[in-house]
Amino acid sequence: MVSPDLAVTLGPLTFKNPVLAASGTFGYGAEFLSYFDLGALGGFVTKGLSPAPRRGNPPPRIVETPAGMLNTIGLQNVGVDAFVREKLPGLRAYDTAVIANVFGETDAEYVELCAKLDQAEGVHAIELNVSCPNVDEGGMIYGTDPRALERVTRACRRATRLPLIVKLSPNVTDIRVTARAAAAGGADILSLVNTFVGMAVDVERRRPVLTKVSGGLSGPAIRPLAVWMTWQARQAVALPLIGIGGIVEAADALEFLLVGASAVQVGTANFVHPDAAVRVVRGLESYLVRHGIPAVRDLVGKLDTGIPA
Amino acid sequence: MPQDLRLPVLRNVELDQASFLLEFSAPTMTASMRPAQFFMIGIPGGETLLRRPYSVCGLPGTFDDGAPGAAQLLYKVVGRGTALLAALKNGAALDVLGPLGNGFAIPEQPALHPVLVAGGIGVAPFPALVAALGPAHVPRMFYGARTTGDLALARWFERRTELTLATEDGSAGRRGRVTEPLEEFLAASEPRLLHVYACGPEPMLRAVARLAARFAVRTDLALEAHMACGFGVCLGCVVPTRRRGSEFGYERVCIEGPVMPAEALAW
Repeated sequence: MVSPDLAVTLGPLTFKNPVLAASGTFGYGAEFLSYFDLGALGGFVTKGLSPAPRRGNPPPRIVETPAGMLNTIGLQNVGVDAFVREKLPGLRAYDTAVIANVFGETDAEYVELCAKLDQAEGVHAIELNVSCPNVDEGGMIYGTDPRALERVTRACRRATRLPLIVKLSPNVTDIRVTARAAAAGGADILSLVNTFVGMAVDVERRRPVLTKVSGGLSGPAIRPLAVWMTWQARQAVALPLIGIGGIVEAADALEFLLVGASAVQVGTANFVHPDAAVRVVRGLESYLVRHGIPAVRDLVGKLDTGIPA
Repeated sequence: MPQDLRLPVLRNVELDQASFLLEFSAPTMTASMRPAQFFMIGIPGGETLLRRPYSVCGLPGTFDDGAPGAAQLLYKVVGRGTALLAALKNGAALDVLGPLGNGFAIPEQPALHPVLVAGGIGVAPFPALVAALGPAHVPRMFYGARTTGDLALARWFERRTELTLATEDGSAGRRGRVTEPLEEFLAASEPRLLHVYACGPEPMLRAVARLAARFAVRTDLALEAHMACGFGVCLGCVVPTRRRGSEFGYERVCIEGPVMPAEALAW
């Protein structure tokens, strides 16, 4: 059998395979060059970029929890200008999609980030991290307020010609509402989900484990929740989806593809095995061979619920 | 260049109260490894998700009975991860990522006299350091712990260093903290001729850093931190620093460390 076709097309973007590395787990890409050729991945998403460099939160910033981890890194990053100047040039040599993840505290900051990256050579798409407080509106999280989410997405849409991905927050009552809001604002693609807000307590000291009390939960613990939300979003919008949440191996990625995601992001697993995402690519390939399926795109949304239509 | 290998445990022996020496063979990793560099260790199929960082304790040649090309880790059972590690039998598989971090800088011809300061299980990187310094440079060593049973490998160091022990309960050596005999030693020495290497709990390292500043003695601290990855991307292991290049006021223990000069830390 000829090797299966792994390429996927999501609106304006085509990836050589459906496996991307998630923001915040892959640095700026170069950190992984000792472990594999970045060209083995469909793409990767950079650490979240802000208009100015950010110092991040005081340690302790992470704690392991059952089948997962909580983090409160505090969005430490070099800032968009240093990224474009120092990190991006070295990435152009690799045959992989570079997706810049951005976050702001105001609509104007998001627009500024999108406009700057629009001019940068080597950025293939922008992913909006909307799990941040909106200081214009009293710290309400962008991603949980459908009105603010639609507005900031629309503003970013006008600021760049690059494919625009909106990364949905799972910390909402109904993901379909924010999925529709991002679609209405002009997103090309939705990625979901970001981390769940959680908390761990040190009972001996009777204190929160993390300095900032709460953190973002990631890892296999959230996978069933993320698969369910991807399935729900699939019913709500026609946009292509990228599934994220606790993917460690190919079978996990397949769950997201079958419920309707066209691609996936591998996150926390990159910390455990630097080549975790490459292992997922290989695993998908052998699944396709084993099942005699010629192309991975043939699997997207092919969940058989067994429920008569 | 770090490698990610699945390797069998060669031995995993209990030394003292809940401290263990674990050995695995990794000739490609150990060939160029320095003392205080570390591995991220995972247990395949285990119930913990993230790997844990362990300093290399022994490199080929450190322990007389070590297998060729083998590395040894010294650890104490303190939580879930170390309890699972302690339960591993010979032949069990380990996921080993390494070598990671910078490690101690050891001059070819040390002009300064090495002074080792260890607190509890923070003694782990010192056997490899003592071996790397060689018999021509017998270090002065200060080794403290809560109680005598926590002084893992004390007899090993007794034969290879000029050793002062301290325990908080007075069950071995001096009663009190290890930094007290260290302070007396520094006060009676010519600090410009010394090079202090310290590893232990953070309060001990802070005290050592204060002495380093007071006596103007060159001091390298081997730090420990919770980390998810060990290779620079999770940003979970940062410590506050003040030196050039530390533009955010934080540096990563896994990449810029685990060894940092005492004066770099902004504690």
